[in-house]
Amino acid sequence: MSNSADKVCQLLLREQFGVVAEKIGCCLLRKGPCPLSWLANEVGLKLDKVREILCFFIQHNLVMYEKNKRGFLEYRMAVKPTLWRCRFPKYIYCAKTLYGDAAELLVEEILHHGQVLMNDVVQRVTDRLNEALRESGQPEISARVVYDKFCSLARTHFIMRCTTISAETENSTIQAPDNDHSLYEVPSMDIDGDGRVKRKRSLDESDQPVKRQKTGDTTTKEDGIYWRVNLDRFHQHFRDQAIVAALASKIDKKASEVLRTMLRLSEVKSASYAPVTTPVSFTEIFQALPKEVGLTRSVTEQYLALLCEDSTEIVSKVGNSGGGMYSVNIYKGLISLCKAHVESVVQERFGSKSLRIFRVLLQRKHLEQKQIEDLAMVPAKEAKEILYRMFAQRFVSITEISKTPDHAPSRTFYLFTVNLQQVARMLIQKCYQAMANALIKREAETMEHRRLLDKQERVNAIIATLEQTGADEAQKEEVKQMITPAEKTKLNQVKETCNKLDQAELQLDDTIFILETFIFYTERETCVS
Amino acid sequence: MATAPKTEPDVEAVDLETRIIALCHANPDGVTDVIIQDDMPQFDVKQRVTAINRLLSTGRIDLLKSSSGKLVYKLKDPDAAGLVKGTDQQEKLVYQIIKDSGNKGIWIRDIRYKSNLLLTQVNKILKNLESKKLIKAVKSVAAAKKKVYMLYNLEPDRSVTGGAWYSDQDFESEFVEVLNQQCFKFLEQKALSAQETKIDPIAQRNASFASSEDMWKFISELGISKIQLSVEDIETILDTLIYDGKVEQSIVAKAGGIGDSGQVKLYRYVSPLIPPTGLMRMPCGSCPVSDKCYEGGAISPTTCVYMKQWLDL
Repeated sequence: MSNSADKVCQLLLREQFGVVAEKIGCCLLRKGPCPLSWLANEVGLKLDKVREILCFFIQHNLVMYEKNKRGFLEYRMAVKPTLWRCRFPKYIYCAKTLYGDAAELLVEEILHHGQVLMNDVVQRVTDRLNEALRESGQPEISARVVYDKFCSLARTHFIMRCTTISAETENSTIQAPDNDHSLYEVPSMDIDGDGRVKRKRSLDESDQPVKRQKTGDTTTKEDGIYWRVNLDRFHQHFRDQAIVAALASKIDKKASEVLRTMLRLSEVKSASYAPVTTPVSFTEIFQALPKEVGLTRSVTEQYLALLCEDSTEIVSKVGNSGGGMYSVNIYKGLISLCKAHVESVVQERFGSKSLRIFRVLLQRKHLEQKQIEDLAMVPAKEAKEILYRMFAQRFVSITEISKTPDHAPSRTFYLFTVNLQQVARMLIQKCYQAMANALIKREAETMEHRRLLDKQERVNAIIATLEQTGADEAQKEEVKQMITPAEKTKLNQVKETCNKLDQAELQLDDTIFILETFIFYTERETCVS
Repeated sequence: MATAPKTEPDVEAVDLETRIIALCHANPDGVTDVIIQDDMPQFDVKQRVTAINRLLSTGRIDLLKSSSGKLVYKLKDPDAAGLVKGTDQQEKLVYQIIKDSGNKGIWIRDIRYKSNLLLTQVNKILKNLESKKLIKAVKSVAAAKKKVYMLYNLEPDRSVTGGAWYSDQDFESEFVEVLNQQCFKFLEQKALSAQETKIDPIAQRNASFASSEDMWKFISELGISKIQLSVEDIETILDTLIYDGKVEQSIVAKAGGIGDSGQVKLYRYVSPLIPPTGLMRMPCGSCPVSDKCYEGGAISPTTCVYMKQWLDL
């Protein structure tokens, strides 16, 4: 992993878990896998403290461990899941749009605890929901509703069981799941008449994993099955959403609905990272289309034809049975998206003339300078300037083809080209750097106004207690006056700044997500072929 | 009596001259003295010499050395003879070289190599020829300082002038830009009006297409161009729009078009796939010094001016 990504990891750990966790995390990142005692020695902390933090990391799925050849247990920081922590709002929002408020809270709870027991999380979410409902004066709901949401999340693989490690078997290897489905099986839950979760002791207490005993309550429930969020599944969903959104922007909303339906249909059928989805028939697509889209049979047919003829080549017709079989080429979609993102960077960074030259290179692959000038219709001098600037910043590369073995410049062709993968990697670096910058800036901003923020917090706390004790308005007003108008504007400004930086981080993550998924797929493709 | 000997040889001499020329016409490879002697034995050597000298001095025939070493007389190129009347041998040579280069023109250095003359001589000759309006100098677009020479009455080749997009030897980037924008507006308008019709999606897409000929007519009627543009010129402009990512091209077979390529190039406005990417929505994306940016450095995220400006907005 790169320096800038490590930097982001470090900043995220500091922001979310504090300085000690950052220190240990950094050491793991820098040194790679290492055993516990060595790690403790390296960071100069007590063994117990390091163990505690490691447990904490494992609980949050941030540290992996495995036995090395000599029999030591080595701990390794999982960089990607650490980086994905800044994607949490997206996972939560995604759950909300798909399955509603209860699912939102479920995913939020599971994410913030890393690994949880089903009964715990269902109970907690039910309580939280009921509290909110009580405040707005609506009737309370039963735990059954939340449990159902839990089941649907598991059924669509958005949450999964943690792979258990049996404490009895000495070698501590991760048990391979019996089959894929067992990972998503939800045990039944006893819910009493009041809609409360019954706490029931499991029979085989000895079978529970020792490592996962972080949460205060040590009683075992549902055979000690811990659940976690299946981030990969969320990423696949994001990936599909990105492709759908791109086509919605390019063709129209209805075309994207057709594509969305196709993706939903093939979701369960195709392998999780297959470059092309399994074909679905027209009849299936038409029947599965949501009614509110309001497409007739012939219009649906037309939209499918449009999608097939589109230059992105995302949808293609593969057969004629069942009214036509259609498949979605995810990889091509990702290539188009990646190109679009890279082009957007070129456009903003170098201007539209440069974009034209860049796209000429993308389409025609290898070109000499003169050819580029002619095709892009840019004056020779300007084209030269643009090309060299992009070359200096590693957006375009040069292939030298020499007529003679001595590589004399006068007898050499210099062909400009764009290596999309290389550019994507370079941009990911830039994104992580920008992300780190945003995090640092936000930290600096809050540090600078620490006193003010603390004061606001104290005032809010006082007001809250006053409200509970039932003090009158005058008293509350008096407390509120403690923050001067000047301080108030400053506070608003800080809040605004932090919001802006937060938003920038989320947007950066969008770019990172597309570029990384593209690289992931490209690597898989090259592995296969 | 005094006039008779004068006129008689004249008539005879003219007769001899025309006969020699006729002979040269018959033998384009050149005639030797022997052939002339065989053909018209009635004239003596002296008469022949005066006749040939007159022909040579008026520039109607050339005296050349053949490969076998014999001297041959050849008919001179009639129009060249007319043009370079009164020029010397070197000028003729240079003229010939320039003429051979056709409407592509020839560079002064190449003239020097081909003629084996000194630079000063060539310069003088070129100046001479230019002042006589026999040749002209044209500036090439390939290299700004490179002048090429060609015959005065020729229209320079496209590769020399650069075609419609060059005035003098400058590329008219503004003209190209204006055309680019006009074409884009036309297609965008077309796509918008197609969208408003609310017909079925395929018809809607088809309505947003415009052929290159439609575009050509539109541009010609607009009258933004002083020079006459061809359909191919418009297609190069439309190609730049494709490279801009604003337009897509598709080729369809033409109904009953015999004689031409039988296909029509259709162009259509396309909306972009994505809004500006996340990286570019914060200053770091377009930061020129991001490579030198690190905590505690001269450029650092906490002290960054771009970041400050962006956040203060």
